[in-house]
Amino acid sequence: MSTVGTAAVILSLVAVAAPALAGDPEYGAYLASECFACHPKGQPVGPMPPLHLLPRDYIVQALREYRAGTRDNLAMSLVARNLSDEDIESLADYFQVMSAQLGGR
Amino acid sequence: MSLTTTRRQLLRTAAVVAPVWVAAPGVLRAQAKPRVVVVGGGPAGTTVAKYVARDSEGKVAVALVEPKESYTTCFYGNLYLGGQRTFDSITHNYVELVRKYGVAHYRDTAVAVDPATKKVRLASGRELAYDRLVVAPGIDIRYDSIDGYSEEAAAVMPHAWQAGEQTALLKAQLEAMEDGGLFILASPPNPYRCPPGPYERASMIAWYFKQHKPKSKILILDAKKQFSKQDLFLEGWNRHYPGMIEWVPEELGGTVEAVDPATMTVVAGGEKHKAAVANIVPAQRAGFIARAAGLANDSGWCPVEPGTFKSKLQPDIFVLGDAAIAADMPKSAFSANSQAKVVAMVIRHELTGSKLFEPRLRNTCWSSITDKDTVKIGANYRPTEAKLEAFDSFVSKVGESDELRAQTRAEADAWYDSIVQDIFA
Repeated sequence: MSTVGTAAVILSLVAVAAPALAGDPEYGAYLASECFACHPKGQPVGPMPPLHLLPRDYIVQALREYRAGTRDNLAMSLVARNLSDEDIESLADYFQVMSAQLGGR
Repeated sequence: MSLTTTRRQLLRTAAVVAPVWVAAPGVLRAQAKPRVVVVGGGPAGTTVAKYVARDSEGKVAVALVEPKESYTTCFYGNLYLGGQRTFDSITHNYVELVRKYGVAHYRDTAVAVDPATKKVRLASGRELAYDRLVVAPGIDIRYDSIDGYSEEAAAVMPHAWQAGEQTALLKAQLEAMEDGGLFILASPPNPYRCPPGPYERASMIAWYFKQHKPKSKILILDAKKQFSKQDLFLEGWNRHYPGMIEWVPEELGGTVEAVDPATMTVVAGGEKHKAAVANIVPAQRAGFIARAAGLANDSGWCPVEPGTFKSKLQPDIFVLGDAAIAADMPKSAFSANSQAKVVAMVIRHELTGSKLFEPRLRNTCWSSITDKDTVKIGANYRPTEAKLEAFDSFVSKVGESDELRAQTRAEADAWYDSIVQDIFA
């Protein structure tokens, strides 16, 4: 199978796994509304960082580590255990857009 | 007010409206900007008002009915009692909601709801029509659940379970109390607002006593056999306040049966206790308007569809926050804020056709035992047919390091700042 063909198969699998959600900014906004219960939208004040100030890759990595339990915070692990890989990507996308809009990072 | 009337009303409206819509859809749209009325400006109602107004981008008219100009949060109210926060720092207003999102703030009190004609009547006589109504009045105190307790008695023996004047009164009494006095805290039966609240309150008052009135004692008379984060609180009290706090559970005569404000007497398990300061937190029920609107059942609380928070008893009305039966979710500001985002999403979907996603519901709750020893608890919830089921959870552990507890306190302080921003700004 050619590389292009493999990529097409992978893409179609992804599409089946998360039909309407991956890459949907409305879904990202809904997921992110959970974050704002604790994380500030402006400047840092204490241990919960403003998420739009974090690099995209850092957000993805941190959420995966919290989910796996290799990074330690009871509250964040609870959050992350309820996120699929697609959810994590949607959140990372959302904060990237927010960062661009607010001129952060 | 029967469902038949509601249906007839709908049919009549439809009959009048349909030809107009066919003839001039633009006109109808201009007339029929959907209206959402939110009753109650606490964490639940204010978050719904903000999220619907902000995310519908002007397509929905949002009115918030709340008589107060500003709202003093119950959460962090115990830290105010302990002297770790000022009253001003836990008081917020609705100015940003009006300015940034165009919410209309009616400083008025909802006195009646007619679900058939879909109108809310206010104390001033004004009527507000709605397409969707959100009822989030929080709690009312059941004054009749303890002999001798009443609104008048609460001016002497405050409940301080609705923040504002009552918490300021309790603080003034604690400051006026002589060293060596007995502080009695009557803790309510389930369900009630903020399950760990009474025990955080005892902790914060102990923290204040330890510095200013170290000979004083705290007696918790409890209508329950056990309480939230019990092991963590008992560990903290033994460690930080040895000999100062006594907890009497229900089975050992903890339930307060009667009070006499004239003699500052509290009766529990047939025994009379004389208090220097008495904080009586009675049983609770949904706020007045929820009951007046026919939204509550015999329990005094409001049954709702898990997952949408639509009333099971009246059409087109949502009930959330402390007034709703949302178990396993506790009655907390975090829960209310989390529920509000789901309710706002459902309302926007119904009125503007925006997308609907699986409800995501969570509670996280921090309790402070000293100024740098804080513990936390949390859970995720999902709707089943019968309830909101906790399917994943955590709680701080006994014996955690001082460093972790201090970090948890810093987390709690940051959470407070963020959640009030999420609610009010």
